[in-house]
Amino acid sequence: MQANDGVTAPGMIQEQRARRDARDDRLFGWLLKLCALLVLAALLGAAGATLWGGREAFGHFGLGFLASSAWDPGSDTYGALVPVYGTLVTSAIALLIAVPVSFGVAVYLSEVAPRWLRTPVASAIELLAGIPSIIYGMWGLFVFAPFFADHIKPWLTNYLGDKPDDGKLSWVAAHVPFVGKLFGSDSPFGASVLAAGIVLAVMIIPFISSVMREVFQTVPTRLKESAYALGSSTWEVVWDIVLPYTRSAVIGGIFLGLGRALGETMAVTFVLGNAMQLSPSLLDPGASIASTIANQFSEAAGMQKSALMALAFLLFVVTFIVLLIARLMLRRLAHKEGR
Amino acid sequence: MNDSALAAPPVQAAAATPPKLKVRDLNFYYDGFHALKGISMDVPEKQVTAIIGPSGCGKSTLLRIFNRIYAIYPKLEARGSIELDGENILAPGYSMNRLRSKVGMVFQKPVPFPMTIFENVAYGIRHHERLSRSEMEARVEQALRSAALWDEVKDKLKQNALGLSGGQQQRLCIARAIALRPEVLLLDEPTSALDPIATGRIEQLVEELKHEYTIVIVTHNMQQAARCSDRTAFMYLGELIEFDRTEQIFTKPGKKQTEDYITGRFG
Amino acid sequence: MSALYLRRRIANWVALALSGLATLLGLAFLVWILWETLRQGIAALDLKLFTKITAYGEDGGLANAMVGSLIIDFIGIAIATPIGVLAGTWLAEYANRTRLGEAIRFLNDILLSAPSIVLGLFVYTIVVLPITSLTSGNTTFSGFAGGVALALIALPVIVRTTDEMLRLVPSTLREAALSLGVPQWKLTCQILVRAARSGIITGVLLALARISGETAPLLFTAFGNNYMTLNPLDKMASLPQVIYQYANDPGDAMHALAWAGAFVVTMFVLLLSLASRFVLSRNKVSHE
Repeated sequence: MQANDGVTAPGMIQEQRARRDARDDRLFGWLLKLCALLVLAALLGAAGATLWGGREAFGHFGLGFLASSAWDPGSDTYGALVPVYGTLVTSAIALLIAVPVSFGVAVYLSEVAPRWLRTPVASAIELLAGIPSIIYGMWGLFVFAPFFADHIKPWLTNYLGDKPDDGKLSWVAAHVPFVGKLFGSDSPFGASVLAAGIVLAVMIIPFISSVMREVFQTVPTRLKESAYALGSSTWEVVWDIVLPYTRSAVIGGIFLGLGRALGETMAVTFVLGNAMQLSPSLLDPGASIASTIANQFSEAAGMQKSALMALAFLLFVVTFIVLLIARLMLRRLAHKEGR
Repeated sequence: MNDSALAAPPVQAAAATPPKLKVRDLNFYYDGFHALKGISMDVPEKQVTAIIGPSGCGKSTLLRIFNRIYAIYPKLEARGSIELDGENILAPGYSMNRLRSKVGMVFQKPVPFPMTIFENVAYGIRHHERLSRSEMEARVEQALRSAALWDEVKDKLKQNALGLSGGQQQRLCIARAIALRPEVLLLDEPTSALDPIATGRIEQLVEELKHEYTIVIVTHNMQQAARCSDRTAFMYLGELIEFDRTEQIFTKPGKKQTEDYITGRFG
Repeated sequence: MSALYLRRRIANWVALALSGLATLLGLAFLVWILWETLRQGIAALDLKLFTKITAYGEDGGLANAMVGSLIIDFIGIAIATPIGVLAGTWLAEYANRTRLGEAIRFLNDILLSAPSIVLGLFVYTIVVLPITSLTSGNTTFSGFAGGVALALIALPVIVRTTDEMLRLVPSTLREAALSLGVPQWKLTCQILVRAARSGIITGVLLALARISGETAPLLFTAFGNNYMTLNPLDKMASLPQVIYQYANDPGDAMHALAWAGAFVVTMFVLLLSLASRFVLSRNKVSHE
């Protein structure tokens, strides 16, 4: 046997090799760890850079920055209320539409559709998630907003709003509180908070529905089978077994969609109208944090730039918290499965 | 050692060869769980030692200590000693490289590397020795011949190893292990994923290889242990119940538990 | 009893019909968006798109934006791929189940959906501003800065797929290599990464698909340029940024160009995601 030819020499070589391997392994490990820490650095850096950039605005306006609806480059006064309000309302509308639709899609694809149909339809819906947001923006601006202005908006203003074309208030606008204000508008354009919310909803439906579909598929078959064995209908199995079992992950998926909606720039910017005004009406144009930054940052200087950075910091912190909740909720199901 | 009474007197009397591996009072813990309890045994050189027992008895765990592959996972700890040619492989200073060039291992499922057949065998050698091209080719051929695979693959050495059948893949893994010219070969249920024909070939191979290597084979298949081993160890719940010549174990087992197991009363 | 039974059946029927309707609605939007992009994009397709630059405005094309997009995307992928693969490897092979590893895996998932416009501002702060002051204003926005911004968006995608794909590699493969005495770094680079190769390539393709449509982070990093440039330290145009600019322009001819650009971007992204699926499915075949 070759190994026995000279006991010391190969032994020495092996020792050297072992030492070198150990050193290389250590160096390699450090290199890898360094790269992984860059992920952390990116998050901290994004928060730090925007906080730093926004320090003047935060310092100058203090907490009033959050409460003020002023946004006036002329007098150099800035407040975050209008874009924050726009961000929250568009995202809320998006969730209001996207959650039930996504739930329906997920139920259909995991429980109802014939098997041969499931994969192609699921792939198609996921295709929707892959379309760049600028395309949603284009579609929103050139296709959906005009459609909205011609077909949806008149109906809403006339039957629900407090500023109908013929001046006669509908019964709903006259008797149900708030509704009239929400849908009253005399802006002739399609671009509005509601239109932006709808475009956002279309954008996040594939995200939410694919998370829901995935978690629905993790429900153990025996659980569903035992419910069917008791005579439950498909819908009862979904509502009484599947949904409770996956509740935390479903909420996680919704928050994931919310995180997307809050931070989305391009799909919103085109259809929001970019008016720095606070209007109670969903049919009036508005502004979101991301759209304000996208529109103004290139030409901004001084305090305006700082105020935009401060807005970015707020956006980052809010989305971070929302995404944190999303991931924690999604994780709960993973733990339940023992993964 | 006093506590080696389990195995020592009859086995050593019959042993013609000195022990290759001397296991003394070996204890193994994972995450606080006491998985192996005071194992002592002598594995004879150039013979086949089979370890049998019901699943979860610790037989694979024991085998995985012989080349310290367990050490790649956290929270596992082995105490006691295992001497390979008189040196304790569990001692902190013992070189992992040296150990793994001396003790080869073949796993339950065939795991060819995602490379060509030739590279699969050459890969390990390259790490331990610097050989010229022709030397390497000779070495790979020799290993494949020893693993009774040469005739089947000699024309497709440059093809991906994943294209081989399960039995061929397992023999490739054996070739890969013996290409390093180890002294001990550990086989962890090497046929459990194979069909009967492929199993037969591997068993035949084990028979041939024992002239050059000390072989330890873990198996859940008692007939396999009876067919191809010289010694058999029976383990149960982390303890070595009995260790003796194979025909002794299968004809006149010394312990009631062993008898119950081999007659199929449990496990 | 039978009334109850009937009510339950109707409830079931209504709920399931609504779920089907929801799916139809989702598909309808997909078709609507793709149809408009195809219709208006193809109508505006013209050879000058590929030969003329944006400086000619209505009579121009998108050549400089296409070239710029390719350069910026390439820089982004070139930065993100090595870092992402190494970081993903660390998560899967070195830090799996350690506290720091879990924390970074978790934060990576958050970075995955962080608002891209904020990442653009971050890169503006750490790349554009320092370069501006270092060159006393000669260089400000640059294709390179755009590439860094896109790298930040591509990074978590690559980290995640690498991590997931490596964790799919059976641990017996690791044991087999280590039992030959191969050191961990060789095992990782030569065997594991090779075993997970197509999965990792899929991740890179997905990351490329993701960044090639990104607009927001490029606005304050690469900025835009009406002329053709190959110098990564120049301001650089990109397709999404030109689409954004042209869509905001009142002229119809500009809108047509924007649609043409949207069509090109969409086709590119869809082809990439098809390619990534193809690579992944081939991988599954070779594994089993």
